[in-house]
Amino acid sequence: MNQHDVIIVGGGHNGLTCAAYLARAGKKVLVLERRERIGGAAFSEEVFPGFRFSVFSYVVSLLRPEIIRELELPRHGLQILPLESTLTPLANDDRLVQWSDHDQNRAELARHSPRDAEAYDEFGLLLHRMARAVKPLLSVAPPDPASLDPRELFDMLRVGRHFRDLPPKDLHALWKLLTMSAADYLDEWFESEALKGTKAASGIIGTMLGPRSPGTAYVLLHHYMGELDGVFRAWGFAKGGNGSVSAAIAAAAQAHGVEIRTQASVSRILVKGGRASGVVLENGDELHASTIVSGADPRRTFLGLVRAENLPADFVAAIQRYKFRGASAKVNLALGELPRFTCMPEPGPHMRGAISISPSVDYLERAYDEAKYGEFSKRPYMDIVIPSMLDPSMAPPGKHVMSIFVQYAPYHLTGGWTDARREEFGDTVVNTLAEYAPNLKNAILHRQVVTPADIERVLGLSEGNIFQGELSLQQMFFLRPAPAWARYRTPIHGLFQCGSGTHPGGGVMGASGRNAAMEILGVRA
Amino acid sequence: MSDVVVIGTGADELVAARALQQAGHGVTVLQEHASAERLEGWAPSKIGALEAKRPDPWLRTHDGFQLFADMKRSVESVRRLSARDAERWPVFCERMAKLGALLEGIYLEAPPTLIDLRFALKVRRLGRRGMEDLMRVLPMPAAELLDEWFESDVLKGALGALAVRDVQQGPRSAGTAFRLLHRHVGSPSGVFRQPVVDVAPLRAGLTIRESKVARIDVHGGAVTGVSLAGGETLPAALVVAGANPARVLGQLVEPGWLDPDLLRAVRNIRARGVAAKARLQLERAADWQTLTLAGSLDDVERAYDAVKYGRVSDRPIVDARADGAAVDVHFQFVPHTAADTADIQARLMKILQPHLPPIRNITVQAPVDLERVYGWPQGQPHHAELSLDQALWMRPLPELSGYKTPISGLWLCGPAMHPGAGVIGAAGHNCASAILRAA
Repeated sequence: MNQHDVIIVGGGHNGLTCAAYLARAGKKVLVLERRERIGGAAFSEEVFPGFRFSVFSYVVSLLRPEIIRELELPRHGLQILPLESTLTPLANDDRLVQWSDHDQNRAELARHSPRDAEAYDEFGLLLHRMARAVKPLLSVAPPDPASLDPRELFDMLRVGRHFRDLPPKDLHALWKLLTMSAADYLDEWFESEALKGTKAASGIIGTMLGPRSPGTAYVLLHHYMGELDGVFRAWGFAKGGNGSVSAAIAAAAQAHGVEIRTQASVSRILVKGGRASGVVLENGDELHASTIVSGADPRRTFLGLVRAENLPADFVAAIQRYKFRGASAKVNLALGELPRFTCMPEPGPHMRGAISISPSVDYLERAYDEAKYGEFSKRPYMDIVIPSMLDPSMAPPGKHVMSIFVQYAPYHLTGGWTDARREEFGDTVVNTLAEYAPNLKNAILHRQVVTPADIERVLGLSEGNIFQGELSLQQMFFLRPAPAWARYRTPIHGLFQCGSGTHPGGGVMGASGRNAAMEILGVRA
Repeated sequence: MSDVVVIGTGADELVAARALQQAGHGVTVLQEHASAERLEGWAPSKIGALEAKRPDPWLRTHDGFQLFADMKRSVESVRRLSARDAERWPVFCERMAKLGALLEGIYLEAPPTLIDLRFALKVRRLGRRGMEDLMRVLPMPAAELLDEWFESDVLKGALGALAVRDVQQGPRSAGTAFRLLHRHVGSPSGVFRQPVVDVAPLRAGLTIRESKVARIDVHGGAVTGVSLAGGETLPAALVVAGANPARVLGQLVEPGWLDPDLLRAVRNIRARGVAAKARLQLERAADWQTLTLAGSLDDVERAYDAVKYGRVSDRPIVDARADGAAVDVHFQFVPHTAADTADIQARLMKILQPHLPPIRNITVQAPVDLERVYGWPQGQPHHAELSLDQALWMRPLPELSGYKTPISGLWLCGPAMHPGAGVIGAAGHNCASAILRAA
C-alpha cells in the first residue's frame, strides 16, 4: 500500500499548483524539492544582510486568475502591487514614459509622435482582442491532431471551432502575430523608435531571438495577456518578492493536505512494466506512488530521470532536439541611494514602475547580433524594477534593491561562463546603465550577477532557459514539448509532466500545473 | 474589340491572358516594363509546355562540393564532407519531398483558407510523421532544420543561402525552412533548386501593346477601363493587373473607392528587394553551370546582418548560373536603397573573379534598377516578400487572397498573389480560373 497517490518531482510554482489541485480533489500528494526551499525560479531571499531579492523571476503578470481564485491565493498571503509606468531613457536626456493613466500616456506619446498617440489606442484594443482569443487555449490540454482517437478528434474539433467562431479579421491578425517579427509588426503601427523599441522588447524576453526574427510578435502578445487588466503591460510585483507567489500556492496546497519535502533530490523515476511506480532519492530512499508528475523540464525528466530504454526512440529524439538556449541573465543590486536618471533626475512615480533600456529596435537587434555568435551583448537590453519603492520591507530604511533583467547573455558563451566572465558581464551591465544614471556606480553596495549557467546550476533549468524551453512556434501548443505528447502525458503510463516545458509555457502562469492536474483527474477543461 | 485588359507582361500576366483568351474573351495586354525572358522556377505542365533547363549538378560550391539530380551521386558527394550526413541525406530528401508534394497540390489552385476542412484532410493524409514534419518545419528557421539533420558547414550553408534568397531574413529567422520547401516544389526528390525556364513562348498569339497605365477607371464601384499615360482610354469590363497591389490599389485606382483600412494594409505589404543582379559575358564558357558561394550558415547570417542596418554585405551570397559564355549572377544582400552599382560590382568581382575566365563585359543592376526596369517594388521579384505572414491564405493580404479586389471587375494576378514567384505563371493561372468561375 503506497503512502501517497501522487508524487510530484519539483516544488516550483507549477509543481505546487498541480499538487494543490490534486489534493483539492482528494488525492494524497507528496512534493519533492531538491533545494532547501520551494518555489523554483519564483523565490526570494535575503542575499545581502537587510536586502531581499527576487533572485530570478521578478514580476507577476500571467498568473492565471482562475488559479488565484480557486486556490484562494490572497487568503494565503498573495498581494500584488501594480507597476504603473515604464520609463525608457533615451540619448540626449530625452525619455519616453508610458503611464497607466490614459491621458498622461497619450500626451507623452504625442510629444514623440502625434501619429503614434493616435494609433496607440487602436493597437491596444487589437492586442487585447487577440489576447482574449488566445486565453481560452491557455487552459486546455492540446489535442493531438494526428491521432484518430475519438477523444482527441473531439478536442481537435473543439479547438477548430474556437478558431472558426473568431471573426476572420481576428483570425488573420492572430496568424500575423504568430508569424511576424515584433519589429515588422510594430512598423505597421508606429514610427517612434523609443516606443517601437520598448514594445519590441517584450517580444524578445526569454528568447534567443532578435526583434527582427519572425515569431517574436507572438511573444509580445504573450506578455500582453496579463490579467491585471486595462493597463499597459499590466505587470505587477508580489509583496515580499516573487517567492510570495510560491509561498501562497504552497500554503494553499498544504491547507489541502499536500506534504512538501525539501532537500529531497530525486535521482530516478522508477518504471516497472511500462508503468511509473515511484522515485529513487539521491540518498537511496525509494518512495512509491502510482502517479508521478515531473515539474522538471523535458530534458531533465526524459533524458535524466527516466532511463532511455523505457522510452520510444522517436520520443527521445524529439526531446533531444527540443530547444532551450537560455538568453537571459539577472543582475541584482543593493543600493545606498536611488539612481538618478539624467532624463528624469527627481524621484517621482516613475521610480515605482519599470525602467526599460530599449531606445530603439536597432539597439535590441544589435544586442542580439552579438549573442547570435556567442558573445554577451556589449550594450544589452535591460528591464529594471526597484521593488523597495513598492515594498519598503525589501531593503533597510533609505536603501534600495534593484532588479535588472538582462538580455542577451547566451548560455552558449564562446569559451564558457567563468567567474571572470560573469563579473565582466556585470560590469557591462552597470556601465551601460550608468550612462543613463551616472550616480549608480557609487550607489552600489552589493552586486549579484546571475548568468544562464548559474540558473541551470542552481535551479536545474536546462541551459538556463527561464521558460523550460523556447517559446517558438515549432515548440508551442500541440508540439510542446513533443508531438503526440503535449497532453501532459508521457509514453510511460502513470508519468505526467506539469512544468512550463508543456503548453502553454513559462512566465509564472501556473497554467501548466493546473492543466496537468485536470488531465490527471480526467476533468475536461 | 477587347473586353479584358491585362496589365503587365510577366509570366503570370501572360498565362492569365492566354487562359482568358482561350475562354473566348478579347484580351489586350499592356506591357509597362521590360519582361525577363528567362525565369527561375517550376513550370507546371498544367500551365504550358515550357522549356526548362536544369543544370546537373544543380549545386556547386566554391570548393567543388556538388549535388546532383541523381541521389546516389549526391550521397557519394556528401560522403566526402561527412559520412553521417551522407547517411541522412536521402532520408531528409524523402521527408522534404513529401511536404513539397503537399505544397505542389495547393499551389495550382486558389489558396486554402486558414480553417479549411479540405486542406485539413489533405494534411491528415500525410500521416503522423508527415503532419508532424509539416507543423514543425514550416515555422522553423532553416538553420535549425539543417542543424538538426546535418553537420557539414558547406552543405548547410549552401542550402541556407537558397532558403533566404530574395527575402530580408537570415537562415536563423523563423519561417525560412518554409522557403527552402518553396524552392523544392516541382523538383525531383533531392533537388532544392528550380530550373531556368524560357518564358518568351508565352507571348505567342497575344495582342501586346507597349504603354504605361495612368489610371484604372472605376465607375459605381466597377471597372470601366484603363487610361493610358498617353491619354488614350481602353474600355474594358475586366481589368487583370499583374503589377504589385500597392501600385494597383494605392496608385492606379482613385482612393475614394477603397476602404482606408484596406489601403493601410496594402501599404504595409512588405516588399523589400535584397539582391542585385549582374549579367556577364565571358571570353569563353566557364567550366561550371552553376556556382553558389555562400560559406557556412554563420556566413550567410552575417551577410544578412549587414542589410538590417542598410549596408551591403561584406561577404555576400553570390549565386551564378552559366549558359555558355553568358553568366547570370544573383548577389545578396543589398539593401533596396543602395544604388552604387560600381561598389556592388567591385565586391562581386572580388568574390567571383577567381572562378571565371576573362570577362568581356558586365552589367550590374541594383534593386533600384530592377524596380525601374522590371517594375519590381523596391527591387523585390516576389512583389510581396514570401514569408509565412504573407503566404498561402495571407498572400498578399487575406482580403485579396482570392485574386479579387473590392472593385468589381478588377483582379490581381501578379507574383504578389498565391503562390508567388518561383512557380511560373501559377498566380496567373489561379487568377484566370477564379475569374472564369465567377463569370
